[in-house]
Amino acid sequence: MLQSIVHVCLAGLSAGMFIWLVASGLTLIFGVLRVLNFAHGSFYMLGAYFCYTFLRFMGENFWLGLLVGPLCVCAAGFAMERFFLRYVYHLALPYQLLLTFAFVLLFDDLVKIFWGAGSIGSPAAPGLSGSISVLGRNFPVYSLFIIGVGPLIAVAMWVFLERTWLGCIIRAASSDREMASAIGVRVPALYTGVFMFGTWLGAIGGGLAVPYVGLLTPGMGETIIIDAFVVAVIGGMGSLKGAFLGALVIGLLSSFGTRFIPTFDMFLTFILMAVILVWRPQGLFGEST
Amino acid sequence: MKKTKMSRRDFMKAGLLTTAAAALGPVAFKPTGLWAATPNLKGPIKVGYQAVLSGTLAGYGAFHNMGVILATEEINAAGGIAGVKLEVEFRDSTLAAPEAIKNARYFVDSWGADFLGGIDSSGQALALAPVMAELDRVLMVTHAATEKLTEEHVFKKGIKQVFRICTPTYQDSNAAAFVAKDLPVKTWSTISPKYEYGYTCWEMFKNTLTKFRSDVSFIADSWAPFGTTDFRAHINTILDAKPQGFYSTEWAGELISMVKQANQAGFFEKVKHVMFPVGAAMDVLEGCGPELPDNVWISGRYFFLYPDDRRNNDWVARFRKRWDHYPAYVSETAYSTFYAFKKAVEESGSKDTAKVIQALEGMTFESPAGKRVFRKEDHQAMYNVPWGLTVSNPKYPFKVMGKQIVIPAGECFNRPPFEGPGTKPPF
Repeated sequence: MLQSIVHVCLAGLSAGMFIWLVASGLTLIFGVLRVLNFAHGSFYMLGAYFCYTFLRFMGENFWLGLLVGPLCVCAAGFAMERFFLRYVYHLALPYQLLLTFAFVLLFDDLVKIFWGAGSIGSPAAPGLSGSISVLGRNFPVYSLFIIGVGPLIAVAMWVFLERTWLGCIIRAASSDREMASAIGVRVPALYTGVFMFGTWLGAIGGGLAVPYVGLLTPGMGETIIIDAFVVAVIGGMGSLKGAFLGALVIGLLSSFGTRFIPTFDMFLTFILMAVILVWRPQGLFGEST
Repeated sequence: MKKTKMSRRDFMKAGLLTTAAAALGPVAFKPTGLWAATPNLKGPIKVGYQAVLSGTLAGYGAFHNMGVILATEEINAAGGIAGVKLEVEFRDSTLAAPEAIKNARYFVDSWGADFLGGIDSSGQALALAPVMAELDRVLMVTHAATEKLTEEHVFKKGIKQVFRICTPTYQDSNAAAFVAKDLPVKTWSTISPKYEYGYTCWEMFKNTLTKFRSDVSFIADSWAPFGTTDFRAHINTILDAKPQGFYSTEWAGELISMVKQANQAGFFEKVKHVMFPVGAAMDVLEGCGPELPDNVWISGRYFFLYPDDRRNNDWVARFRKRWDHYPAYVSETAYSTFYAFKKAVEESGSKDTAKVIQALEGMTFESPAGKRVFRKEDHQAMYNVPWGLTVSNPKYPFKVMGKQIVIPAGECFNRPPFEGPGTKPPF
């Protein structure tokens, strides 16, 4: 029983941290730019495809692929923000949603054109492909790695936003765009930078998914974006702390649900979201508006 | 100067000759071969085909399309169907039932389709069947597997417009039970899709296997929702139960993810007897590569190395030449659909729905997958697909079937009237 519970916890932690990797970029972009970016799942997908392509080109070196792949996706993020999103910031939310959704369809089709419509089985990460015994049952090393990377990214983002000059400017621009602009912050350039950083986070999530999910498919972003949105809603749209905790809760809840109350495992996640929306519409850590 | 004007007598002569030629013509130049009976067929013959081209399963639509295009090219190069050109339009079904119905209505009402084909999901097939009765066109289902389509809609409700060319859930569960009965396994478990297809197969597998063996029990089941990418929690559930056998109707990308994650967790060292009813799909074999363990039981709706005869091997060679790819099972069922339509039209001498249905019922025809017969009562194609054990073969960059067991469709498919004794295997 102990073995079972420990493994259910580990599976939940790795699932939660994996969702966090994707939700972090989504939350950052919403928190600063106030844009609900549906295409964030596409950055996850592009991150996975680029990482896979580079690792194939560079002698099956996954880590090099993980370094280069997401940078290419940043270019796509730059183009999307600079030439499209920038012109809809002042419009109502539905217009932004429509535009980002258009990009979802666009990116899906681009992936089908360049990589084919079929699924691609992807290789394990070199050095982390094995498993170690935890209380007599094997647990994949790569899942442990994901459990470690999640908090690392969270801490790095916290330090960056709270303890650096640039982070301070970003926070200033996000809380009052006009005032920041008035005191000489180049807000448009800053927004582009933040959007690219969010894009990079999504793409890193995708790159890390290459060994974690073991499969690349066009449309893979659409499955993960739903989870990421649920996490963001539970934690509070725009709150990184909330998204981190939300991801942990969702990961553990679905893992325990699958194991112990399988009939209701999907129900649990969404009932939690519904309860939070009723009881605390701004989410666990969201600012009430 | 010669008289150039035609005299009245000449004119009469010419007229008589023309009349004689016209009268004799049909005899002298009578069409021969299969389309002899169809001089009045007005072309072209239009087939509206739909399969999933978007989302995570878009690869399946692409595989359908390869079969569709190859069949269309070959049939038109050889003179068409009954001498008439074959035209095909391919649309994305998106896996959603409303979209499938919308496409079907477009094909028939706007585009003027004579026949319809395709359909991946059981939900789509069940929703579309009543619409086919209303549109009154033959629909050949090439992928959706639910037995309810043929048992209830075709047999019980009498929707005669629907046919199925691929193997149904009987292959996934009844045939699996025929294999499982001889395995040294007393405790079975499953991770399967959390929707109709997964539930039905597991129930059918349990029922049929219990009839063979009274000493087996089914000790763990875990259901993965559509779109699951992380199977680790499900794998835990199964490992906790410590079963000897594992049966899973996970398919396509989700099966690939599950196999890889199970491998990482050392699952296949703990559970020795594993059965994947749709594991012989090309995308799964290629996607898993070496990570699919040896000695796993797999099957599908067609496997490109079976039957090992000239017709199939030639077809696989032609397919590879055209697409630089091994054919997936949906490529075969899509391809064969057009030859089924061709034979039915040429035999009935018409593309009229009622006449084509009459020709298709009980029709036998040769296809890459072997001889198929459309059962008269429920319009299910009867043909054999093997179950086999995975093995590495240096000729292929993926696992193939080694040892094969063929359970004839006549032995493992449920029989009409589908209720009461003697309708479910073993017979």
